[in-house]
Amino acid sequence: MSSNFRSAEGANKRKTYLLLAAMGGLTWLLAYAALTYFGAGTTSFIVPIAVGISLIGVWGSYYGSDKLVLKMTGAQLITREDNPELFNLIEEVVVASGLPMPKVAIVNDAAPNAFATGRDPEHALIAFTTRILEVMDRDELQGVIAHEMAHVANRDTLVSAVAATTAGAIAILSDFMARMMFFGGGRNRRDGNANPILLVISLAIMILAPIAAMLLRSAISRRRESLADATAVSFTRNPTGLRRALETLARDSTVVRQQSNAVAHIWIESPLDGKAVSKMFSTHPPIEERIETLRAMEFLGPQQ
Amino acid sequence: MEIFIILGIIALLAIFAIAQYNRLIRLNISVDEAFAQIEVQLTRRLDLIPNLVETVKGYAAHEQATFDAVVSARAKATSATGVADVSAADGMLTQALRGLLAVAEAYPDLKASTNFLSLQEELSTTENKVAFARQFYNDNVRALNEAVGTIPTSFFTGLAKVNARDFYEVEDPEARKAPKVNF
Repeated sequence: MSSNFRSAEGANKRKTYLLLAAMGGLTWLLAYAALTYFGAGTTSFIVPIAVGISLIGVWGSYYGSDKLVLKMTGAQLITREDNPELFNLIEEVVVASGLPMPKVAIVNDAAPNAFATGRDPEHALIAFTTRILEVMDRDELQGVIAHEMAHVANRDTLVSAVAATTAGAIAILSDFMARMMFFGGGRNRRDGNANPILLVISLAIMILAPIAAMLLRSAISRRRESLADATAVSFTRNPTGLRRALETLARDSTVVRQQSNAVAHIWIESPLDGKAVSKMFSTHPPIEERIETLRAMEFLGPQQ
Repeated sequence: MEIFIILGIIALLAIFAIAQYNRLIRLNISVDEAFAQIEVQLTRRLDLIPNLVETVKGYAAHEQATFDAVVSARAKATSATGVADVSAADGMLTQALRGLLAVAEAYPDLKASTNFLSLQEELSTTENKVAFARQFYNDNVRALNEAVGTIPTSFFTGLAKVNARDFYEVEDPEARKAPKVNF
């Protein structure tokens, strides 16, 4: 499949909407299962509570994402004087994208990697490990910066916060339901008018929904990575730089020291071991696949 | 009853018209902003030139023809206004600067001097910014021209006094290539 960055951007955005809609559908399905099993009274009580708890939990980390991630990754904010060449490169991408200048941070780490966060472009933060600045040449680094600025432009902190909220609400809701079932709740059973097949289906939905939500969340994250690659090319019109950068990352087997799953999805290259986690649960598309997509864009020649 | 339906339809039409009008105005403003960004970056480049010429002169005083070309191209670029003029002067200056850097290649002492190296980094990042500002401007013009040429926004161009704008074309074919800088 060969496509230029415009059609690649469109396709990834459409798939994100589909996946987010599927998340919404899943929440509805689980609420429906609760309705079948526990009746309207209990359901109208536990669904808002589950959504509320999840919303409160995620919203804080979304709103303060730039500060929170600094703490969790140990990144240090830097100014122009610390690294004028890096700032020159970032300013180039800022001009190309029309976005405001982000905050810039450095993570002292032996693995080459980078990430972007912040609730909106005005509060954006992009960070680089010390190693990535050593191993990459100017074109490669420009590709990486463009990828991170693409996350800012596409508001991926917001997208992942929405996905996390929904997945969280689903997990909390099915947890509630399991507990209530365990403690012998379930008004409808006493009424004796509930369809047993429907009850079994509800039970299955309750058990499977959290896993399905996790899969959907990972799928959304993978779409946003592919989208960021395409948007990065729309900024630099130079797929070669990013492609070579990804090849450099693929060659390097060291991973970022912090292994906290909580912030794994924000790095340009996943810090989690690819083999341990199956592809379906991965937050990033396989790096070879991303390289191939960029190579296909290169074959289209200079892009206007 | 009918009067409310008619009023509702009129209100919806008005909201639709306002949205189209505002879209055209917004696109037009972003083109202006994008052009201002090109001018900012071109000015930055102009500001770097006297310093660069002085530095090269210190090592290669007899390359007068090259210096003259840069100085006259800079003078033209300083006085240029409007998309066509600015882009023509921009192309000339890009070519003159390339000549100057080619001259510098022949002087190892010059190439090794820290002053020249930092000027070269400044110049190459500014060249990249100029190229990206052009690209951003042309993307914005593309979006505006698409809106001006397609229904339904095309019905409102007269009302909004917004017309299709010119792309920023650089005369020099070399300058159209993607920026590529190596150190």
